[in-house]
Amino acid sequence: MSPVKRFFRTYKPFTRAGMQELVAYRANFVCFFIGEIMSAFIMYFVWKAVFLSSDSDTFMGFTMEDMTVYLFIAFLTGYMTYSDGAFSVGEEIIDGSIAMRMIRPCSFEMCFLFKELGNRIVSIAIIFVPMVLGVEAYRYAVTVMIRFDPLCFLFYVLSTFIAYMISFYFNVIYGFMAFFFKNLWGTTLIKETLVGFLSGATIPLAFLPAGLAAVLNVLPFASLAYTPVMIYMGMYSIGEIFAYMGLQVFWLLVMMGLSKLVWNSAVKHLSIQGG
Amino acid sequence: MRRYFRLHRIFIKQYLKRLMEYKVDFLLGAVGLVIAQAIQILFIGIIFSQIPKLQGWTFEEILFIYGFSLIPKSVDHLFFDNLWMVGYRIVRKGDFDKYLTRPINSLYHVLVENFCVDAFGEMLTCILLLGYAIPRLQLPFYWYTIPLLLVVVVFATMIYTSLKIMTAAISFWTKESGHITHMLYMTNDFSKYPVSIYNKAVQAVITYVIPFAFTAYFPASYFLTGSDPLFCIGGTVIAGSVLMALALFVWNRGVNAYESAGS
Repeated sequence: MSPVKRFFRTYKPFTRAGMQELVAYRANFVCFFIGEIMSAFIMYFVWKAVFLSSDSDTFMGFTMEDMTVYLFIAFLTGYMTYSDGAFSVGEEIIDGSIAMRMIRPCSFEMCFLFKELGNRIVSIAIIFVPMVLGVEAYRYAVTVMIRFDPLCFLFYVLSTFIAYMISFYFNVIYGFMAFFFKNLWGTTLIKETLVGFLSGATIPLAFLPAGLAAVLNVLPFASLAYTPVMIYMGMYSIGEIFAYMGLQVFWLLVMMGLSKLVWNSAVKHLSIQGG
Repeated sequence: MRRYFRLHRIFIKQYLKRLMEYKVDFLLGAVGLVIAQAIQILFIGIIFSQIPKLQGWTFEEILFIYGFSLIPKSVDHLFFDNLWMVGYRIVRKGDFDKYLTRPINSLYHVLVENFCVDAFGEMLTCILLLGYAIPRLQLPFYWYTIPLLLVVVVFATMIYTSLKIMTAAISFWTKESGHITHMLYMTNDFSKYPVSIYNKAVQAVITYVIPFAFTAYFPASYFLTGSDPLFCIGGTVIAGSVLMALALFVWNRGVNAYESAGS
């Protein structure tokens, strides 16, 4: 059996488990999703009021249509790239159950990754596709033109996938660090608000002072949301798309390397009491 | 009644002892909330750098409404945060047994058991916002403004708390209801901005169904303009009382339906 085939055969059950988990807890999932998407709608109404109160049709270069697409696609991208699969690592280190993972013949992060991918496959069907259709329907209703660009969309999907991988490894690192803190709610809140802000998911980076925006554009956070969203909206030329996606790949490699480092040092210091 | 107040003091004292053990960790929650609010304020600032007024509301007025919305939210957060745990964990794990074996009311016990210092983050933001906005606004001030404010805060907090009690009590039947609480609780964000920016459907929902508009926008607009006290203040009082009565009813029915987890 080829190693690739073997790899996928090892982790396929995790993907299935991830899918089943989401389906089993579908009521929780739906409630949680409604709670989260409400903030996008609040922002939509705020922007509508802004454009009604303004004399100009654009706000710092964005039309109302741009703003709406930005809001909902940024929400969707943030939602799809959100990762908390490795979040329980810290807990497992404390209670020692990580030992079980270490004796299994599979990589601990790959188990998490494939389980979460299973989760995402279901999300694509019930969240991603309907939301993209909704956004495009809105665009059509407003401009009476089909603005959907298959090439941009293809790059967007690819860019979102890289963004998800960056987010995954970033959260593996966070999972290791979180175990030093007791107030997980607090540290997670800090992490998520800062990432939301630095990645441009809360406020488009183009609205920030030029110097700050330029710095944030090259930091890894922009790779998490801003880059894919701008690609979706067709704001980048082909050259820019390649440049920013190259940057995404760079940050992905950095995050993977860092997570390996943290994992190795954690294993070295790990001591588990018998029970 | 006096016994219950005395117990509350003892619970808080116990809690503060635990707090001293993990000082830094508990501050993290407060810091997180301050950062979250600061980013929202920055967003409002960016908007107002381009337009003078948002549908007739000035920057200071918007900040006042936003800051006002944090008063009942943070009071509820500070004192009654434990309700989240009922829906997420306590009932599912069968830990609710503990509350039933104590010689005090189960709801009272759940409410006072925890004291969430994370809420100081929201309180600090609230004080900063109101401290900035109030001196810059010509607010109508009478002898009854302060007492009226206290009444509003009590009933507005009751809107938050009773929605949490109601949704937490659903877990007595379904074992878990934290996500329902989350869904309803998130609607409170609508109350940070003037209700007039939303469409009719959203306005109707946040006024009459999940009346978060009465926790911030309506009372805040009364304190800003002095108009329509009957609807703005009376509405808050009625919404708070009706919801609390409903919440107590659901909770009591729920406690009777509670089945512990098998061991």
